[in-house]
Amino acid sequence: MSDRWIEAEFEAIFREHYQRIVRVIRRVLQRDSEAEEVCAEVFLRLYRSGPGVAAGGLVGGWLYRTATRASIDALRANRRRGVEEQLEGNGPVETEGPTESPLTLLLRRERIVEVREVLAKLRVKKAQLLLMRHSGLSYREIAEALQLSVNSVGQKLARAEAEFSALYERQQRRNSKAPQLRAAKEGQ
Amino acid sequence: MKHEEVNQGVLRAYLDGELDSTRLFAVEQHLQGCSVCSGEVAILRNRAALVRDGLDRLPKLPDADTSARAWSAFQKKREEWMDGDQNRWTLWQKLSLAGGCLGVAAVALVLTVAPVRAWAENLLAIFRVERFTILEINPATLKNEGLQNNQLLNQTIGRVLSDEITVTQSPQKPQLMANAATASKIAGFPVQLLLGQTPSSLLLESGIGMNMKLDGDRIQSILDEAGRSDLRIPASVDGAVIGVRVPAGVMAFYGNCGDVASRMMAQAGAGPGTKNPSASADHHVVVHLGGADKSVSEAGVENQAMHANKVSPGETSGQEADATCVSLFEIPSPIVSAPQEIDPAQIAQVALQFLGMSANDAANFTQTVDWTSTLVLPVVRGESKYEQVHVNGNEGALLRGANQNQSGHFSLMWVDNGIVFALNGTGDDTTAINLASQLQ
Repeated sequence: MSDRWIEAEFEAIFREHYQRIVRVIRRVLQRDSEAEEVCAEVFLRLYRSGPGVAAGGLVGGWLYRTATRASIDALRANRRRGVEEQLEGNGPVETEGPTESPLTLLLRRERIVEVREVLAKLRVKKAQLLLMRHSGLSYREIAEALQLSVNSVGQKLARAEAEFSALYERQQRRNSKAPQLRAAKEGQ
Repeated sequence: MKHEEVNQGVLRAYLDGELDSTRLFAVEQHLQGCSVCSGEVAILRNRAALVRDGLDRLPKLPDADTSARAWSAFQKKREEWMDGDQNRWTLWQKLSLAGGCLGVAAVALVLTVAPVRAWAENLLAIFRVERFTILEINPATLKNEGLQNNQLLNQTIGRVLSDEITVTQSPQKPQLMANAATASKIAGFPVQLLLGQTPSSLLLESGIGMNMKLDGDRIQSILDEAGRSDLRIPASVDGAVIGVRVPAGVMAFYGNCGDVASRMMAQAGAGPGTKNPSASADHHVVVHLGGADKSVSEAGVENQAMHANKVSPGETSGQEADATCVSLFEIPSPIVSAPQEIDPAQIAQVALQFLGMSANDAANFTQTVDWTSTLVLPVVRGESKYEQVHVNGNEGALLRGANQNQSGHFSLMWVDNGIVFALNGTGDDTTAINLASQLQ
């Protein structure tokens, strides 16, 4: 097999998978532009890796694996650099309709921040697994993408969900206490 | 189905409808009579719902298909990136990249540490450079896969590792020293200079210290994204803390080296992010690569020297160095510490295969090296010449570029009494060895 892509074949793969891959990345990252950037990087890596990656029809799994990893890495990097999610103002989260009040929108954004906090804290493979499953990949597809045996996917998924749930609940408890603490301090 | 067979994984797959009909039937039968497993199913179902509820909150892109626009943008980006890549991909960058990858992929990969001498209380083994060994790399390997892709791979390495590093001693900008006595006092070792010659510049490079917690999964991702998923990082690496301490070193320039000293002083050293690794991941990794380079020294010691002698064709500058320029870098051996569980030979084999060796060759080569004291210098076959030489009674390595533009430049490296030396200049082999013999 040649180690270079035939342009038409690469374009077909790009067009077939782009939308799905950028959607997964966009869930993890705050901005459309950043998601598109990371997505382009993922496809550049695919291009560099050559058509061998697509042998055996595994290109979708490769893309999901690389994209989920890259997006989690970018999420963590943003957190380290202190890039805060916008909770107020004209943030990138679309409103759900004209009836959504500013308070509801703010709360919704807070929930998004919580979920991303949890994803960033999980071990990368666990976060990848959850994102893939949530994107609708079957156990077989997940196994191919993460190079696991199909029979181990259920167990790993159960563990990842247990860890996510524990972190998520803790995060929610912490956030629900924060306003009470603030109010208590202000009352003193 | 027996109770022992109905584990959490089976129950989770049951909830997702991922069991084949036979197992599905067996699990359903079992659940009817087993309250423990039924309870477990309820817990798993609740957790799955909680995760779904959480992930459902994340924003979705509108349904519109943007792939046509994205394809145009991608083509443009790819073009820019490939143009840049061609310009960037030089011999010394390959070396540096190889060194950087090796150093970073698990500091221990090339600097590797063997559990020979116990350190402090219970856990650390020590690596010090006592000798060099040359390792030829097949250029075909470098031209394939992810290794060539230095930009993307370095970004990956940056992202992957920047979480895991704590700088214990930040690098500072190089300082001009008045003379060898002052340099020796500040650097903490007796600095040697060429007999009867006064350096045009004498710079002190600060030490660097860092600890890195290795994450097996994340290091594996570097291999994966370099297209080498066939290589697996040993399990012992996961969670290990590697310490790297690079002492202060001294760089002496002789002859006309242009403005390289002032450029080094302007460019190198710590930025605002280095004291707090979490503050600036990208910058931090640059620091780390620098540290790894310096300690690996096939890239570091040499790189600094090449920097001085203008070997790198991609270099741009104001004043050019000429053939009279000689640079000498000297530094006490960097020290790497690692837990005893780390098996250096096993890790080295992965690193060597990453550089293109067959599994068999890697295993054989690994056995020929004392990994506690030998620094392996990767050299790209056909692009550089090298030989093992004797320098002042010590074994050393003499390297040159293979093409005509570079073949006049030499880089001579050796270790004498715990100090690593790199001497760089223009001339034949005898010139190099003679210069080295003038040190005192």
